[in-house]
Amino acid sequence: MTYSDRLNARYTGERGPLFGLAFKAALLTVITLGIYRFWAKTRIRKYIWSSVRLGNDTLEYTGTGLEKFLGFLVAVVVLAVYLGLVQLILFYFGLHFVFEPQTEAEMLMQVGVIYASFFALVPLMLFARYRARRYMLARTRWRGIRFGMDKAAWGYVWRAIGHGILTALTLGILLPRQTFWLEKYKTDRSYYGDQRFEQGGKWTRLYGAMKHFFIGFGVSAAIIIAGATVGVLGGGTPYETGTVVGFVGMGIFYLWMLFGYVYYRVHSFRYLTANKSLVGAVSFVAEPRTGRVIGVYLLGYLAVAALALAIFGMTVGITSATMGAFLGGGAAPGPVGFVIVAMLYLGALALIGALGLVFITQPIIAHFVETLTVLNPAALDTVRQRAHDVGADAEGFADALDIGAAI
Amino acid sequence: MATPEGQIETAFFDGQSARRWAARIAPSQDGLSLIIEREGAARLVWSLDRLRALADQSDKTRLTLTQLAETEDEAPRDPARLIVTDPDAIAWFLRTRPGLMRRDVRPGTARKVALWLGAAVGAVLLMLFVILPGLANFLADNLSVESEVAFGKSVMAQVEWMVSDDDGTDLACTNPEGTAALDRLEARLVGGRDLGYDLELRVFDHEMVNAFAAPGGQIVIFRGLIDEADSADEVAAVLGHEIGHVVARDPTRLTLRAAGSAGILSLVLGDVSGGTIVAAAGDHLLQSAYTRDAEALADAYAYSLLNDAGISTAPMAAFFDRISAMTDFLPEYLSSHPLSAGRADAARANAAAHTATTPVLTDADWQALRKICDD
Repeated sequence: MTYSDRLNARYTGERGPLFGLAFKAALLTVITLGIYRFWAKTRIRKYIWSSVRLGNDTLEYTGTGLEKFLGFLVAVVVLAVYLGLVQLILFYFGLHFVFEPQTEAEMLMQVGVIYASFFALVPLMLFARYRARRYMLARTRWRGIRFGMDKAAWGYVWRAIGHGILTALTLGILLPRQTFWLEKYKTDRSYYGDQRFEQGGKWTRLYGAMKHFFIGFGVSAAIIIAGATVGVLGGGTPYETGTVVGFVGMGIFYLWMLFGYVYYRVHSFRYLTANKSLVGAVSFVAEPRTGRVIGVYLLGYLAVAALALAIFGMTVGITSATMGAFLGGGAAPGPVGFVIVAMLYLGALALIGALGLVFITQPIIAHFVETLTVLNPAALDTVRQRAHDVGADAEGFADALDIGAAI
Repeated sequence: MATPEGQIETAFFDGQSARRWAARIAPSQDGLSLIIEREGAARLVWSLDRLRALADQSDKTRLTLTQLAETEDEAPRDPARLIVTDPDAIAWFLRTRPGLMRRDVRPGTARKVALWLGAAVGAVLLMLFVILPGLANFLADNLSVESEVAFGKSVMAQVEWMVSDDDGTDLACTNPEGTAALDRLEARLVGGRDLGYDLELRVFDHEMVNAFAAPGGQIVIFRGLIDEADSADEVAAVLGHEIGHVVARDPTRLTLRAAGSAGILSLVLGDVSGGTIVAAAGDHLLQSAYTRDAEALADAYAYSLLNDAGISTAPMAAFFDRISAMTDFLPEYLSSHPLSAGRADAARANAAAHTATTPVLTDADWQALRKICDD
C-alpha cells in the first residue's frame, strides 16, 4: 500500500440551497398533511448524498419518494394490527398481575408491569433500524455501483436485545462489546458492488473511547467525598454540606457524562472505521474530533433556538390576533380558526426543522465526511455491479415507528 | 456543442464496474441522439428523447445524465452514468431537453398506490372503530371483579402519587363528621341496590372542580367541587354520575381501549414536524367521541338513582348552568362530555317529572360535609 495513493472525502453542500430545499419540502409536507414527507426526505437525501465527494466522484442517492410512501403503507397495515392487538392484550394480561401496592417501590413496579406492553415495540424498532440501514445502502451508488446489505434483520434483532441486556446488567461496562459486535454484524453484511466490507479489530480496544465515562465518574465521586469531608470537619452541618457538595458533584457528573458520550461516539467511530476494509485492500482513516462535534451542536442549537424563539414569538402574535378577532366578533373560533392556528404552528415547526438540518445535521455530516480518507482506492476499479435490492418496505417500518434519523 | 467540432470531454460509468472512463460525447448527425465514445470500448448511442438527469444535486457545475430504460431498478433508469462538467454543454442540455428532469413512473403504479392506501386506511379504521372497542368491551366485561378492583387501587395509588404535594402528605380528607355525612349521602343515594362493587368514596383536598371514577368502585371527589356546589343534592348528582361509570365499567373499558389505540395514531402521522401534537389532538377527538356516549349513559344512571332515592335533580340543573361558562368554551365535537347547557336542560326536564323529593342531607350534615377537609 502506498500512502500517496489515497482519496480524500470532501463535503460540498451549502447552507442556502439546502435550507431552500428543506423549507419548501417541509411546507409541502404540512400542506399535504404529512404525505409529502417521503418525497421531502428523498429530495434532501439526494442533495446531501450528491454533496459527498470521494476523489472526483460524488455519491448518488437513488431512492424514490413513491417507494417510501408505498413501504410506509405496508408498514401501517402490519403495525396497526400488531400494535393494537398486542398492546391491548398484553395490557389485559398485565392487569392480572396487579395487586394492591403497599409501598412506593411496589407501585412503581406495577406501573412497570402495566406498561410492559410498550416493550413489545423494541424488537420491531431494532428490526426497522436494520432494514432502514439496508435500504439506505441499497439506494446509494458511487461511480454507478450499488452498495448493499444482506437480508439479516432478525439476526440483528436478537443480538441487539442480548447485547442491550448484557450492557444494562453490567451498568454499561460492556458497552464496547455491544458497540463492536453489532457494528461488526452490520459491516460484515455490507457490500460495495460485489465486494464485502469487513470489520476487523477487537472489542476491548474500544475501552480507550470509554475513558471519559470512568474519569468523569471518578472525579465527581472524589469531589463529593472530599467536599463532604472538608465541609463536615469545617463545622458545616452534614445536611447543608451534603446539599451543596451533592449539587456541585452531580452537575459535574452529568456534564462530564455528556461529554464522555460524544467522545465515545466519535472515538469508537474512529476505531471501527480504521479497522474496516473492502476487497481486502481498500481501507479507511476517520479522524472526526470531539471538540468540533460538540462545537457544532452547541452553536447549532443556539442558532436554531434563537431563530425558533423569534419565529414562535411571531406565530403566537398572529395567533392571538386571530383569536382576538374571533372573540371581538363574539363568535367562538370555529373549525376554520383551529385549522388556521394549527397550520401556523406546523409551518413554524417546519421552518425550525429546516433550520436544524442546516445548522446541525449538515455540519455534522460535513465534519465526518471531511475527516475521512480512503486508502488504496485503485483496488476499487475491479469492483463489479451487484444486483438490485427491492428493499421491501423501503424504510416504512422506521418511518412509522419514528426512528428515522435526522435525514 | 451544437457545433460539429465540439466533442466534449466527460466522465462515464458503465454501470457494470466501478471503473471511471474518460468519454467524449457529441450529438449525432441527425440531431436525435448522443454518441458516447471511449478508448477500448464500443461506442454508445443514447436517444436524446430518453435522456434524463439527476435532480436535487448540490453541485450545479456538474450534470449527471442517464437514460430512461426498462430495468428492475427502483426507477426506470439505465444504471450507466455520464458526468458532464462543461458549462456550455450543461446549458445546452438544460435548454434543449425539456424532458431531462421528468420523473418516469411505471404503468400500474397508480393502481398499486390506491390498493395499499385503501388497505392502510381500512386497517387503521377497522382497528380504531371496530376491533379495539369491541375487544376492549369484551375484555372489560370478562375481567374478574377482583382484578378490576386491584387495578383500580393501583390506578388510585398512581393518582395520589401524582397529585400529592412534594412532601408527600396524604390528600384524602378525614374529618370524622364530614366523613359520616358523606357516608349518609352515599347510603341515601344507593339505597339497598347491589352495585356489584364495594364503593370506596374519598374526597381529595385539591381545588379542582372535578370528580372521577377509577376501575372497581373507587370514586374520588375533589374539594373544589364541594366548594363550588350550592347544596348536597348537587354533590349527590355528581356522585350518581360517577357510580354510573363504575357500574358500566367505563374506566376499565376506556383504559383498555386507550392502551390499544395510543400507538396507532402517532404511527399514521409519523415524525412530520409537529406530528405528535396532531396525534395528541386526534387521540383527544377519538377519546371524546368514545366517552360522550358513556357520559350520557352515566347521566341517565344518575337520574335513576336520584329519582329512586327521592332526590331532586333541579339543583343538578343549576349546577350545570353555573359551570357551563367554564366548560362550554369548546364545541361539543371537541369535548369529552356533552355540553353542560344540554345536561342542565335534561336535568330540569327530569326534575319537573319527579316532584316528590327531599334534600339528600340535613343542613347540619351538609355543613359538616363542606368541612370534610378541615382537621
